[in-house]
Amino acid sequence: MKVLVKVFATLRKKYPEINDMNPLVLEFEEGVTAKEIIKKLDFQISEIHLILLNGRKIKPETSISDNNGILSLFPPIGGG
Amino acid sequence: MVKGYMNKWLKVNLTTQELEEFTFSDEILRKFIGGKGIAVHYMWEYAKKLEEKRINLQEMDALSPDNILVFATGPVTGTKSPNSGRHHVMALKSPLTGSIGSGNSGGRWGAKLKFAGYDGIIVVGKADRPTYLSLIDKKAELHDATELWGKNSIETSDWLRTKHNVKRAGVSCIGPAGENLVPIAVIMNEEHRAAGRTGLGAVMGSKNFKAIIVEGKAKPEIANPKEFGSKVKEHVEKLKENGVTGQGLPTYGTAVLVNIVNQNGLFPTKNWQSGVFDEAEKLSGETLTEEYLISKHPCYGCVVACGRKTKVDKGNYKTSYTEGPEYESIWALGGSTAVSDMSAVIRANHYCDILGMDPISMGSTIAAAMELTQNGKIPEDDSQGLKVEFGNPDAVVELAWMTAYRQGLGYWIGEGSRKMCQHYGAPDLSMEVKGLEMPAYDPRGAKGIGLNYATSNRGGCHVTGYTIAAEVLGDVDRFTIEGKAELTKTFQDFTSIVNSSVNCLFLTFALGLDEYAEMIGPITGWDVNADELLKTGERITNLERMILNKLGLSGKDDTLPKRLTDEKMPSGPSEGQTVDLETMKQEYYHLRGWEDGIPTVSKISELGLN
Ligand code: SF4
Repeated sequence: MKVLVKVFATLRKKYPEINDMNPLVLEFEEGVTAKEIIKKLDFQISEIHLILLNGRKIKPETSISDNNGILSLFPPIGGG
Repeated sequence: MVKGYMNKWLKVNLTTQELEEFTFSDEILRKFIGGKGIAVHYMWEYAKKLEEKRINLQEMDALSPDNILVFATGPVTGTKSPNSGRHHVMALKSPLTGSIGSGNSGGRWGAKLKFAGYDGIIVVGKADRPTYLSLIDKKAELHDATELWGKNSIETSDWLRTKHNVKRAGVSCIGPAGENLVPIAVIMNEEHRAAGRTGLGAVMGSKNFKAIIVEGKAKPEIANPKEFGSKVKEHVEKLKENGVTGQGLPTYGTAVLVNIVNQNGLFPTKNWQSGVFDEAEKLSGETLTEEYLISKHPCYGCVVACGRKTKVDKGNYKTSYTEGPEYESIWALGGSTAVSDMSAVIRANHYCDILGMDPISMGSTIAAAMELTQNGKIPEDDSQGLKVEFGNPDAVVELAWMTAYRQGLGYWIGEGSRKMCQHYGAPDLSMEVKGLEMPAYDPRGAKGIGLNYATSNRGGCHVTGYTIAAEVLGDVDRFTIEGKAELTKTFQDFTSIVNSSVNCLFLTFALGLDEYAEMIGPITGWDVNADELLKTGERITNLERMILNKLGLSGKDDTLPKRLTDEKMPSGPSEGQTVDLETMKQEYYHLRGWEDGIPTVSKISELGLN
């Protein structure tokens, strides 16, 4: 199963080439959790404030089973 | 006398050229705090006086000498409390909306006004020639501004600082747009900061009032300096530790929101025809930082520094120095118009700054013009060869300039989207509430912000009740309508406190009402707690609403454009959603103690407003 990972803001310090138009495509077994993907990317779970799967908030424990699902990872951000 | 204030206000009558100093009683200060609260209190009393003179407020022209401008600081402004350089500006009536006029500005002008010896300024009447006001070292004087008329915000500020020989003085002024009475004109200060919404600049222009320069060495006294000092330290630490105020905003500015809002599918694109912009990455805070940023630029006393100094080195829109653009400006001038060229957005935003216009209303109205063009509603004679089409950066940049001078189609852009879409026979394409163009979050993807847009006293506005902090950036379910009435009410009343204190709304990512009590208490000497503050916030929101009611607005005006309530979001992560406004609104009115958008007699008396 393919997961398209996008990272944003300060998380790009580790992956400067990854952005909305150029996601990182990774292969996982069906049912992989967001937390496992975050670990695989070498992030601490505490660095990640918001996880979106196809634009919907999910928890780190949520398991992912849709092929080509888009996983967006954000540190704490705000503005107005 | 209550500490924290300069305990001196200035009333300027431009018709008679009289200057008069006055104060507010301790009781009134505790009831309304300062900033927006005290401005609303003053305007309520002023509105009653106009009615006694048999002036019909509903028919009153916002550009008539009877309209009033209030520039206000609060007890926190200009103290060592973080991010306290801001001020609030209000007008009884907005020329854009017919509702109340209101804007909050960053910079350092607010702090400098207090250092000049004043808490605030009331401006009434109309001068018979261009005029400006100097408030320097506790001395107030009116001067001829004929030489300044026509100058932009940078030229005006430079001219005044040179003339008065005060290098770093604060200057609030209008640009050519305000002089030309463009209804989306703003009042600029520090060249790139603005009391930016509801057309306050046109009110200033209608009074022939060009600028206010402020400088001085006076400092507000603190009632309990020791306690205050330790709270300031604690608050600064909290701001540094918080991920949003300590990292996200300082690194990327407010534009860091572009990607997350777009990823959630609520980034209004092509005049709100969609919630996803495929090229949003090019407009993101990350792109702005990598390609255009010179350095950060904090307001007075700010420990966050979301402000940006930027430049465009190459291409058609070279700009050697400017500031911003903020998230909202990027969205309005970029996403809303489907223009992904950041350099064009920076250029158009720069024109808004120097000529003195609201980039949200500007971009949103240009986007509406683009949809009118898409639907064949704008005759070629009116667009005069300019391709007012989605994705065309030249159209955005050209129209921004033309609007300030009321040229060609720029005339209608300046009138705002409501009047423009009515003029071209397609009122439903106007994406505003009460005539104020909505900002950068499609409420079909975050229902609470829709209720806030509908009920916000100044019209389609996010900063009066920023539920996005909970719905998109926090844990609250963004699609449900459950609990959104209470969420919106709480955000609105808390924001009234922020805007009355006056300091920066971004503090609220890290500091809550308890911390506001910890600032206001030691500064003023009041034994104040979070509950009292929230009640005070409610009082201010209600009194402001009572002014709206006098202006003829009520529940019928607490609406959203049909596109949001009736048209399903066509695609993306918010696909299929609409806003069930009526259900949320009824619950909200019930919680507020309002009937059809009007505070009930018992609510008015509960808040001590009768
Ligand atoms: S956070 Fe931004 S807007 Fe607020 S005071 Fe600081 S620089 Fe100004």
